[in-house]
Amino acid sequence: MSAPATTTVPQLALQSYLDSLLQDASLELAASVSLDEFEAAVREEQARDASTAPQPLLTLAPEMPPEVESANELPEAVAPMALLELPEALEPAPPAPIVEPIVDLYKPSSAATFEPALAEDGRPQWAQEPFECLLFDVAGLTLAVPLVCLGSIYPLEGHDLTPLFGQPDWFLGILPCQAGNLKVLDTARWVMPDRYRDDFRQGLQFVISVQGYEWGLAVHQVSRSIRLDPNEIKWRSQRSQRPWLAGTVIEHMCALLDVSALAELITSGAAKRLVNGQVH
Amino acid sequence: MNKSSAQGAEDPILQWVTFRLDNESYGINVMQVQEVLRYSEIAPVPGAPSYVLGIINLRGNVVTVIDTRQRFGLAPADITDNTRVVIIEADKQVVGILVDSVAEVVYLRQSEVETAPNVGNDESAKFIQGVCNKNGELLILVELDKMMTEEEWSELESI
Repeated sequence: MSAPATTTVPQLALQSYLDSLLQDASLELAASVSLDEFEAAVREEQARDASTAPQPLLTLAPEMPPEVESANELPEAVAPMALLELPEALEPAPPAPIVEPIVDLYKPSSAATFEPALAEDGRPQWAQEPFECLLFDVAGLTLAVPLVCLGSIYPLEGHDLTPLFGQPDWFLGILPCQAGNLKVLDTARWVMPDRYRDDFRQGLQFVISVQGYEWGLAVHQVSRSIRLDPNEIKWRSQRSQRPWLAGTVIEHMCALLDVSALAELITSGAAKRLVNGQVH
Repeated sequence: MNKSSAQGAEDPILQWVTFRLDNESYGINVMQVQEVLRYSEIAPVPGAPSYVLGIINLRGNVVTVIDTRQRFGLAPADITDNTRVVIIEADKQVVGILVDSVAEVVYLRQSEVETAPNVGNDESAKFIQGVCNKNGELLILVELDKMMTEEEWSELESI
């Protein structure tokens, strides 16, 4: 698919990503990079989701506990804007055996514990009302993740990940940090397995931990937080394939990740059956 | 039983012999280690499986030496002055494992040992017993009995 000369690198990356999402679709999109095309691509993705029969074996939602605090009951749990707007807050900390978080995205309250679940409308529980998202960059691709699903941001500079033999290629290693040993996954391998290049492993600067799990996402850059209205998002209607992809945000030209579903996929062992990021 | 001994029973202290491979530290249960030898010539055995480096003569006894790097999926490395053969007992057999160097014996409480991620399909992932932070670095604890399958242990016995 060609792109106009004015297309930015993130747009190209996003386009590339969406191309991979839509590779099985029968309808070819017109050759341009525009919001219209983005929207069309999203619609097609939704249509493909809708036409695929649900596969209950690997649908994570039914296994989730039914009673989950809704996102609007977690007002104190996150304080993203102020923390993320402080430029010095994202400076890598000096090397130390145990990595301390530079930003705590989630502050647990006694009244609220987050557990991923899909509501009756098919949206995650945290998306019933407007919610805060963190934007970050992985290999030139901007991704959005709801703040309620995130734990802390740890700097990678000056810290070595300890690899473990016999693990999948998306497992980068273990990062000892304040909260324990964080298992770090190669985000790019999950979100764009077909276009993965080995040099994507260079320049990873931060690990963002997933709230409630011992897993973290390695990312190149942490950007900023935004507030999203659930109606701005093109939600995927069924998630048997790529359950970690919640939807797409046209206005910000990015994909919305359900990292809790991703962590659940990994810890449940279902990730062992993955081929190129898809459950089989 | 007083309180401290009760706590000890609930959270036993285990000793681990640590060795290095490819700049990472590994630990094996001290109770399974018989001795540590300097590297000496290992006689290859024709027709032996790829994970067998060969045999050594240990005071008149033949001991099979396993290629630990190959077993752990690591690239081969040169023999150095620090290279050691750790004689272990696993699955009722005495075998040697070749390592880059042997470091020390550490004491770990059971509660300090964290489980390793169970996400790999690779057979070798199964013999990681757990991980532990010790002296500012991560120690990977190896379950020697699982380093081989039952068939492979039987195969070793027949060498």
